[in-house]
Amino acid sequence: MSQQVLWEVVKGNNAFLVKRNGLTLSTDPFNNTGVQTYSSTGFISKNAVGVVPTSGKVNQINNINLVAKKSTKFQQVDRKAKNTQSVYASTLAVKHGVHTASRVIRKRFGTSRVGLQKAALRKLVKLNRANAVRRRNELAAAKAQKK
Amino acid sequence: MTSVPLVSVFSADDSSKVTAKHIPLPAVFQTPIRPDIVSFVHTNIAKNRRQAHAVNPQAGMQHSAESWGTGRAVARIPRVSGSGTHRSGQAAFGNQCRKGRMSLPIKVWRRWHRRVNIKQKRHAAATAVAATGIVPLVLARGHRISQVPQIPLVVEDKIESYEKTTDALNFLKRFGAFEDVQKVVSTKVVRAGISKQRGKKYRVRKGPLVVYFNENAKLLKAFRNVPGVEVVNVTRLNLLQLAPGGQLGRFVIWTQSAFAHLDKLFGTYRYTSIIKDGYQLLRPLITNPDLARIINSNQVQEKVQPAKTTKVLHEVQKKNPLKNTKAMDRLNPYAKKQRAAAVAAIKANTKGTKKIKKNKALKKASRAAYNKVAASLNDATKAAVQEEQDIKVKYFSVQKGAAQTE
Repeated sequence: MSQQVLWEVVKGNNAFLVKRNGLTLSTDPFNNTGVQTYSSTGFISKNAVGVVPTSGKVNQINNINLVAKKSTKFQQVDRKAKNTQSVYASTLAVKHGVHTASRVIRKRFGTSRVGLQKAALRKLVKLNRANAVRRRNELAAAKAQKK
Repeated sequence: MTSVPLVSVFSADDSSKVTAKHIPLPAVFQTPIRPDIVSFVHTNIAKNRRQAHAVNPQAGMQHSAESWGTGRAVARIPRVSGSGTHRSGQAAFGNQCRKGRMSLPIKVWRRWHRRVNIKQKRHAAATAVAATGIVPLVLARGHRISQVPQIPLVVEDKIESYEKTTDALNFLKRFGAFEDVQKVVSTKVVRAGISKQRGKKYRVRKGPLVVYFNENAKLLKAFRNVPGVEVVNVTRLNLLQLAPGGQLGRFVIWTQSAFAHLDKLFGTYRYTSIIKDGYQLLRPLITNPDLARIINSNQVQEKVQPAKTTKVLHEVQKKNPLKNTKAMDRLNPYAKKQRAAAVAAIKANTKGTKKIKKNKALKKASRAAYNKVAASLNDATKAAVQEEQDIKVKYFSVQKGAAQTE
């Protein structure tokens, strides 16, 4: 379904839309900027990558998931796929570091949509840093507990 | 569409099993999405469930109140007749008065219902059905479909014979629809306002819509106690259920026979509907609405002129070309080469070439000759001056001598 047509339906009202303090924001998992605009709204586009924080187990190194949007043209979920699949997205847990994740993002976009690419990478970096801080605190707390 | 999209039918007992691999999608699902039609039809059809209400026609008017007229230092509003009570002499009847009747009291014969053209209603229903097959729209409506194996979700007719709610629940769990039901349960809120005293205590969200075909189906009873789930027969599809609130993209679960019936119900682009007599599905204004793809296509890009660059007429601040080399180059492109040539010439001059040396020697010789000449001239002038001096001295001394002798 064309992104333009979907945007006309969705821009006025959708489940991810949050209007607060004069700002038009979005909780869309495929939106890496947080602001609802035509280009950044990933769930209506054909390919988008969302960088999503997950509540993972303690001591998990990275609590980030990459959610890649799939073409949703009457596709079935491939249950044999390595990544967790849903009708509209395939999810990749960022386990092996930020570099592999960033490569996935870069490969997805190629040379096109640099703005979106940068937004995804930016979010990835920020989440990664936040994770590092969290993990440091956890380790410190664990150490303190042991003592 | 050159190729017809295909859809699988899932087994009711096992969501990983597919009973029918490839069923062609009914043409309804390719109707153009028309939120304007749906919005219009929905606002009007939503008024049809209203029940007439009105204010008591006598309310506020059960007095024999009369205006006291002028000259009594009170407002001219009708006042309650009689005496012996506080109420007497108080204002009555007006909407502004306390205990008066409201302005424009509501009458029972208010036009509560709206009729909408049949064609519009059918187009709206078709669009709403199409939207249930578009994943982003179902997501946008807020349904939790991350575990659902396929959209549109078509299941074998076995679910029509479910009688127990547990069967229904387990079925929903198997097909990832339970997440949506959980959302409904967790967001059940006590309604704000007086309606809670009028039988509408809770505000409950909409969950999945189950569409069946066979009239003897028992699944209505199985599903009706599951919060959020609605059950409806294909032949009685309701826009208010397909697009609740006028918002397209309800999460729908179709039974196989219901799904197959859609072609007869709405017709296709090849033949009009059998059941909706003579109804032809809406045709899109643009067959390919993907603007980006059109613009970037070879056919368009071949004909398109290269993009215009913004022409800067002049700089914001004037630069002196005699001092600013870049400004000079902009005016006179050859200036760069001239400067380079001059530099090269200087460089060449500073090196010891034969010609230069000869010139130098010549210069030296000529200077020496000149100096010689100048020197001799100098000597000559000096000698001349000296001679004159001598003559002068001689003359004056002679004069002095003459003076002396005399």
